[in-house]
Amino acid sequence: MEAFNNLMYGFGIALEPINIAYVFAGVFAGTIIGMLPGLGPISALALMIPITFSMDPSSGLILMAGVYYGAIFGGSTSSILLNAPGVAGTVATSFDGYPMAKKGLAGKALAIAAYSSFVGGTISVVFLMLVAPLLSKVAVSFGPPEYFALMVLGLTAVVSLSDKSLVKGLIAAVVGVIISIVGIDMQTGTERFTFGSAHLLDGIDFLVVALGVFALAEVFYMLLRGGGGKEKPRNAIGSLKLSRSEVKEIAGPVGRSSVLGFFTGVLPGAGATIGSFLGYSMEKRLAKDGDTFGTGNIKGVAAPEAANNAACTGSFVPLLTLGVPGSGTTAVLLGALLVMGVNPGPAMMEQRPDVFWGVVASMYIGNIFLLVLNLPLIPLIAKILDLPRPLLLSMILIFCMIGVYGLSFSVFDLFLLLGFGLIGLGMRLFGFPAAPLILALILGSLMEESMRRALQISGGDWSIFIAKPIALGLLSLALLSLFMPMFKKLRKRKALNS
Amino acid sequence: MPLLSIKRLSVIALPFAALSAIAGHVQAQEWTPDGSVEFVAPANPGGGWDTLVRTMSRVIQQEELADERFAAINVPGGGGAVAWAQVARDEGNPQKLFATSPPMILVPLAGASRHDHTDFTPIARINTDYSIVLVDADSDYETLEDLLTALEEDPNLSVGGGSAPGSMDHISIAGLASAAGLDAAAVNYVPFSGGGDAMTNLMGGHIEAVIGGAGEAVGQLGDDSELRALGVSSEERLGGALSDVPTYQEQGYDYTFDIWRGVMGAPDMPEEAVAYYEDLFTEMMETDSWREASDQLGWIDSYQDSETFGNFLDEQQAEFKDVLSELGLLSE
Repeated sequence: MEAFNNLMYGFGIALEPINIAYVFAGVFAGTIIGMLPGLGPISALALMIPITFSMDPSSGLILMAGVYYGAIFGGSTSSILLNAPGVAGTVATSFDGYPMAKKGLAGKALAIAAYSSFVGGTISVVFLMLVAPLLSKVAVSFGPPEYFALMVLGLTAVVSLSDKSLVKGLIAAVVGVIISIVGIDMQTGTERFTFGSAHLLDGIDFLVVALGVFALAEVFYMLLRGGGGKEKPRNAIGSLKLSRSEVKEIAGPVGRSSVLGFFTGVLPGAGATIGSFLGYSMEKRLAKDGDTFGTGNIKGVAAPEAANNAACTGSFVPLLTLGVPGSGTTAVLLGALLVMGVNPGPAMMEQRPDVFWGVVASMYIGNIFLLVLNLPLIPLIAKILDLPRPLLLSMILIFCMIGVYGLSFSVFDLFLLLGFGLIGLGMRLFGFPAAPLILALILGSLMEESMRRALQISGGDWSIFIAKPIALGLLSLALLSLFMPMFKKLRKRKALNS
Repeated sequence: MPLLSIKRLSVIALPFAALSAIAGHVQAQEWTPDGSVEFVAPANPGGGWDTLVRTMSRVIQQEELADERFAAINVPGGGGAVAWAQVARDEGNPQKLFATSPPMILVPLAGASRHDHTDFTPIARINTDYSIVLVDADSDYETLEDLLTALEEDPNLSVGGGSAPGSMDHISIAGLASAAGLDAAAVNYVPFSGGGDAMTNLMGGHIEAVIGGAGEAVGQLGDDSELRALGVSSEERLGGALSDVPTYQEQGYDYTFDIWRGVMGAPDMPEEAVAYYEDLFTEMMETDSWREASDQLGWIDSYQDSETFGNFLDEQQAEFKDVLSELGLLSE
């Protein structure tokens, strides 16, 4: 009841005309930013700090939060249409979203992404409202050993991402881990595999690799096979409408992934990427038609999209209740709040209820705006696919290059992009899946860092990973999810034999 | 309005600024910039350097202190090394500045940059923050002495910080340990990906203590806080929410540590340009907008002009060299 009264109070703030305008402006700008790879929400928010400086803190946060979850909402577009994920959280969306677009179902894929994002966003706001104060304890309960265990669990998704050949999937994953090692080692400050180049000191950004092995490799592949503009454009965007049975089909995955996404989002640093990958592999295992995942299954779009939007909301929990940022983006938000004179933290909910409840209420409104804003846009944006093929391919090329160049204005990165495009092409030609490589690249550095931190804390004693109940639980889960598929296969074989 | 601000910060300004810099052969006694000034933050948006660059640019524009725009440009990479390499190529350019702080000394000492502070023109030191030692509010450590004694008895106890080994936070705690008669290298310093990350781990009881920036920690302290501050590295007590926190010196440890921030420029910048920026920044620091922003960010003004700042940097280098070699992290 108290939550309800608080929420009503929040709506009182969020529904002020000026704040409605800010929510709208925020989610609109966010959607556009999300669609362009390279211009991630972090840079966009940092650029906005001077604008929000003179604003009322609740309005400022409403605007900036809108940009953040708007960007996650819009992030699926390039994954689905161009196989070019702009942020790590939308990589999993491309696994089934892009095949759907190729089949002429781009409209439906985008619509599913929009609906799932909306539901994921809304369910997670309910959670944020009801359990945020309780969850602050959960967020801090994750120390280095727990993170290591979580990353291991995340990596087991490799098994479900490489169904054709597990060995090839594992090889790709190992390569991903190797790429994640490049750069200055956080634990000792030593340079690793930089070959003396200053450009490699910070490692290789995920975006360079993702755009290379997904989007660029796809362009090369099409060139290799299609030979230019002979083929007709794919033309059909397809209908946006979902049948009743399709709605029924995705309802479960969306619900489950929303909850999963929210809780991974609460953990500082884990967030949208792990949430979306875990959601994807969970649904693939649960689904009766799991083997069609990766070829354009609607559940494969719904699950990661619900999860990454829910995780985005979840990342507000540590920010608002503890005053610690859970991600790079929320770190910028924290900085902005400090500049506006608000100290997020345990006392904020009492001291500045207008900020907390105003933002929570604005998220409900923002998610509705996003849905009504995105649905009519889909046919327009999907028209991209109607372009003649030579034009479309060159556009993807330019799109990727701008995205990568925008990261650090480094020409060196462009050559890396090209290199990874060729690697991606080779992988496709020889049947190596690209997804495990990306997953391992994203999780690899976090996994290594948490493992070494944990061992440094324990004085080199490995038992720290099983002495902690949460870590032990997650590691057991990882084991289980590794061996379950094998077990299933064995049983199937037995059943066939008898 | 928002459109204008975004434009002001946009990277589009970069090629224009470079062009005008080439064209700029100003002979007049009163030097003023010709076209916008490139103000580089050698890191991604959101960090300390970036905040300094954007806050200064904003105040200068808001108070109309300069005719030309200060374009904030992010050049991330290598803990600053990528930006330094870029600025170093722009010898004599009077319109290329960058934000700086202790990593300008530490990164080169660790051997991770081809350029060090002597390659650039010191313009001014602007302000400073201090280190703060934090423990969990429920812990038994009431004073620095409690903590340092415990660290001496059990070298396995971990102290978290927000930066890599051999960088700011590590030097700060190692220097304190050294001043307390402990072996600096014996502190089990665990690097996290940022001060916030380290504080979360402290709240969760995963580490014993955290060394971090006082400005960053101030939001975490106060009534019913989950953390307790044991000491600050300043000479005198800090104000506001930190006024209860004793300094290291008060507790008998003769050691201070400044997390200073300042501005440097391209190599061999003309004297007239340096003088122009010195005046501009002095004027900027007297405005209300600057006061307001500094208070909110926990910054303490500590201006030094070009010459004093240059000498200060040399002293810092000598001091850090000692600590790094004690830690075995000095690059040959």
